[in-house]
Amino acid sequence: MEFGPILSALTRNKAGALLIALQIAITLAIVTNAVYIIKQRADLMARPSGMDETNTFFALTVAFAENFDVKQTWQQDLEQIRALDGVVAATSIASIPLSGAGWGEDFYLDPKHPSNETVGFGNFMTDEHGIDALGIQLVAGRNFSAEEITYRGINDTVYPPVVLVSQALANSLFPDGDALGQLVYDEPNSPHPTRIVGIYEKMQHAWPTVRSPDPDHSAIMPQRSLDKQMNFLVRAEPGMRDQVMAEAEVLLAANHNRLVRIVRSMEEMKRRYYSRDIAMVKLLSGVIGLLIFITALGIVGLAWFSVNQRRKQIGTRRALGARKIDILRYFMVENWVITTIGLILGVALSLVLNYLLDTHFQTGKIEWYYIPVGMVFLWLLGQLAVLAPARRAAGIPPALATRSV
Amino acid sequence: MLSYYLKLAFKSMRRNPVLTGLMIVALALGIGAFMTTFTVYHLMSGNPIPHKSDVLYAIQLDNWDPNNPPTESAADVQAQLTYLDAQYLMRGDAPADQQAAMYRITVVIQPEDEAEAPFRGMVRTTYGTFFEMFDVPFLYGRPWNRDADDADRRVVVLSKALNERLFGGQDSVGRTLRMGDNLFEIVGVLDEWQPTPIFYDPHTRFSDVEDLFMPMNTAVDLTLQPVGMVNCWKPIDGDGLEGFLRSECVWLQFWAEIHDAEQAREYQDYLNSYTLEQRELGRFPRPINNFMNPVMEWMDINNVVSTDNKVLVRLSALFLLVCILNTVGILLAKFTGKSSEIALRRAMGADKKAVFVQNLFEVSTIGLVGGIVGIGMAWLGLRLVESLYRGYQHLVHLDWAMLVTAIAVAVAASILAGLYPVWRTARLAPAGYLKTQ
Repeated sequence: MEFGPILSALTRNKAGALLIALQIAITLAIVTNAVYIIKQRADLMARPSGMDETNTFFALTVAFAENFDVKQTWQQDLEQIRALDGVVAATSIASIPLSGAGWGEDFYLDPKHPSNETVGFGNFMTDEHGIDALGIQLVAGRNFSAEEITYRGINDTVYPPVVLVSQALANSLFPDGDALGQLVYDEPNSPHPTRIVGIYEKMQHAWPTVRSPDPDHSAIMPQRSLDKQMNFLVRAEPGMRDQVMAEAEVLLAANHNRLVRIVRSMEEMKRRYYSRDIAMVKLLSGVIGLLIFITALGIVGLAWFSVNQRRKQIGTRRALGARKIDILRYFMVENWVITTIGLILGVALSLVLNYLLDTHFQTGKIEWYYIPVGMVFLWLLGQLAVLAPARRAAGIPPALATRSV
Repeated sequence: MLSYYLKLAFKSMRRNPVLTGLMIVALALGIGAFMTTFTVYHLMSGNPIPHKSDVLYAIQLDNWDPNNPPTESAADVQAQLTYLDAQYLMRGDAPADQQAAMYRITVVIQPEDEAEAPFRGMVRTTYGTFFEMFDVPFLYGRPWNRDADDADRRVVVLSKALNERLFGGQDSVGRTLRMGDNLFEIVGVLDEWQPTPIFYDPHTRFSDVEDLFMPMNTAVDLTLQPVGMVNCWKPIDGDGLEGFLRSECVWLQFWAEIHDAEQAREYQDYLNSYTLEQRELGRFPRPINNFMNPVMEWMDINNVVSTDNKVLVRLSALFLLVCILNTVGILLAKFTGKSSEIALRRAMGADKKAVFVQNLFEVSTIGLVGGIVGIGMAWLGLRLVESLYRGYQHLVHLDWAMLVTAIAVAVAASILAGLYPVWRTARLAPAGYLKTQ
């Protein structure tokens, strides 16, 4: 191999080679860290909410007339929506899944030692159709009956006598696996215990973030809010969602004493909930794309220039017996040497950048394999970028050596 | 001389259009990406009320569950107050120039024209002092009188946008507005007012300012519930709104205007003695930790600038660095290629300094062009940001400061990039390069 002449040529143009190496080093640092963040966000968004996101939608309404009969309106509206063609189930619901806000509450386990025995959860509050409307599966126990549904005023902190909990919440409350049928409490020394009558497989609470320790801690109480803000959740048969959504909106809007604020599919809701993460993914991908473009252009530009500079030497080498492939290989190896120097520096830079980002912004520690994968990618990128200038160099005729400029 | 250098610069740029274009594209992309993220950062971290930001204090009282971990800093204390405490501080003889408690509610507004559909409006319920304290500009009318803060008077102040929607921008003072089954008298209309961020409520940040403002007493009287963050640690005792108002739930923001350090000390003492008094009544079970923070500190405590944005600013700055390195490399190559031309100029009598200045001039011209193209890219970048994020409409305009920064960064970057290549070229001994010609 011709490492000797390549290295000696490189030392003649130290600055140029060093610049490319530095670019490659920083490129590796940005790409590994950005890809790591993108992967994190993608994982976050890929977490299943637990419910049927495809066929469901919700409607938020708010009444404004003074003597608005909330209870009667609930009955009427739900009856009418359930009668629509293509509706699987419809329920009242207090917290909208993936809305970022909702009812956060605590269960007390031991009424005698209340302070250290609470478990937090998100409370959805639905009627007996809640399970079907969400599209979640009961794994133990039973659903509510219609008679168990009560109305909850804004200040009511008393929990109803029965509740459904998620498997995750059941496990946290009763690690021995015997949650079904157990009692939990709304406050220390509470006179009204709540019995866990059913356990469903999975449902995220309404505000699962990166740092939520227990996104699957949720519960459903058989209650309806007496508030003038009334929220509906509807599940349609596959393919019928948009049609049902339009019909339900018309139906709800027919009542002139209230405002239909939002009618939105759960799919759209999910997109909105994760819009910041989607934005981060797109912006970081953009930066990575531009960065690779610029770095590749830099390699091409400089190689092209150095080929032009060395036309005479190349001609001379060819005249002295070097084959085309030798010239081609010379430039490829030269690029490989520069890239490798840059990548060695880049490994250190990647780790430093990750350390800084994690210390200041809690982005998390990068997994080790991001770095070798990034290195292989940049090696290939360098070789690919230098290919065109190198082929041009290989095409220089030996006769050039005999001409004086 | 300048025009001669400019001519030389353009000649040189034209001689090598690919390399020149490459440099401009690299610089423009770097500047564009960096300015996009930096503009958002600049607007997020901006001072929303520069002339008063150090006399306005957000108040926090540590009235919370005694079983929670001990308080170490303001960030560990609830950002909001109970209705009970806010009422006391407003009514008491607190040593502040002005104070205002506030929270948000929503209402349904029914336009006069029956044919128009009712719509939802955001309301800030507060005290008349709000407007003077925060220097809110009025287009028509004025804030409600002090007596409206104590009695139940049905008065409202409209935002400029709502006045435009309802009354076509006319002076609507004295007219009535229908909400629910209640009629309100309009006493004032705001002029354009959009502090960014909305510092007075840690949960609103970059959204639009409320549509209307209403005395807190009136809102309470109409049993309008707060929207936004409500946190409770103790079960609510008592029924309906009554019980809620007396509860230990927090949902009000509280601000005080305090003119100097002496008064700030007095105010802090006042808060502490109030909490001690309340402890006698069985409230405030935690060690006393009351905080008062001026606007910018308060923004910091509430992490108003998004972490994602901070990460993006750093990564785009690194990207800009790569673009600059790229440009240095190309310039180096380009000037090496120009050696014989420069040697000729030197031989004809140009001294080192003249060659240096002329080449630097060429480099800055590239920077200027890159900067201008970069501003265009930043504009596109901001449109992209606006479409990707919801509620960023107030965070995506390039102001003058940003335009000047962009050009300055671009020219500085190009000079920085050019300094070494230009210096190296100017040092050339002419003789060696002339010989082979």
